[in-house]
Amino acid sequence: MSNDSKLAPIRKGLLEFLVLKIVGARSAYVPDILRRLADTEFATQEGTLYPLLSKLRREDLVQYEWQESDAGPPRKYYRLTDAGKAQLASLDAYWNRINRTIVEIGQH
Amino acid sequence: MQRLYITATLNRSTLQFEEAAYARLESYLAEASRTLAGNPDQAEILSDLEQAIADQCSKRLQPGSSVVTLAELQPALEEIGPVQIPGSAIGSDREFRFSGRTLQQVSEGAMISGVCMGFARYFGLDVTLLRIMAIVLLIASGGTMVLVYVILMLLLPYAPAERGGAPVRKIPTWSRRFVEYVRAKFSAVTS
Repeated sequence: MSNDSKLAPIRKGLLEFLVLKIVGARSAYVPDILRRLADTEFATQEGTLYPLLSKLRREDLVQYEWQESDAGPPRKYYRLTDAGKAQLASLDAYWNRINRTIVEIGQH
Repeated sequence: MQRLYITATLNRSTLQFEEAAYARLESYLAEASRTLAGNPDQAEILSDLEQAIADQCSKRLQPGSSVVTLAELQPALEEIGPVQIPGSAIGSDREFRFSGRTLQQVSEGAMISGVCMGFARYFGLDVTLLRIMAIVLLIASGGTMVLVYVILMLLLPYAPAERGGAPVRKIPTWSRRFVEYVRAKFSAVTS
């Protein structure tokens, strides 16, 4: 797609928002998050997701706990902190405003 | 003759690698480590990635086989993808903002008034380099450079305040107040 160079930064910027949404719905480990995004415009990879989650953890928006798994080593399950929930709520509200602006502008 | 395999412990999993696969693994991890240099969570992210590689390789191993070859490792690494620093989109936004080609003083992170910061940004150079050049010129000019600095300080506009930028130190705050005072006086005299 010839527009992709313009759209890629938008997707990149929104990835953090989507990860917060996924983790906010229910605690998830990385393969869950990847699978949830896989069929969307935001399909991503571990190489991107782990650094992003570590940044979100450092910003105190998510935290993780170890959970044993039936197969293989324990897994890190991520969930939102209270600050993360607040951030997600404000991002959601902001997104709705932007979206309304985009839909409405230039109509008349 | 028996072939030699390399045993690698990736976070919590231990796997055997064929030589070529091991070399590829090492170069991926070295590259990841370079990309994450300076990141306070570097070690933790690398462990997470090692675990992801181990999981991906185990998943791909043929039944009965216990040695990872490039045939398993290469698709595993492709699926994991290169390490990317979050927020580099924001980084390019900064570059975009700074490409505005006007010479301005930058108060954030400045030592005196932000003239060197402004020149560094204008030319895309390291501010330390600019400061060293300024000091060399100061010595070479026998002090005339001070006058040049003060003139630039009085003439150059200030770049708009940045959110999330470096803090403004005390001296730049005072020098800015001084500059604004002089400019006010000057415009009062000329009008």
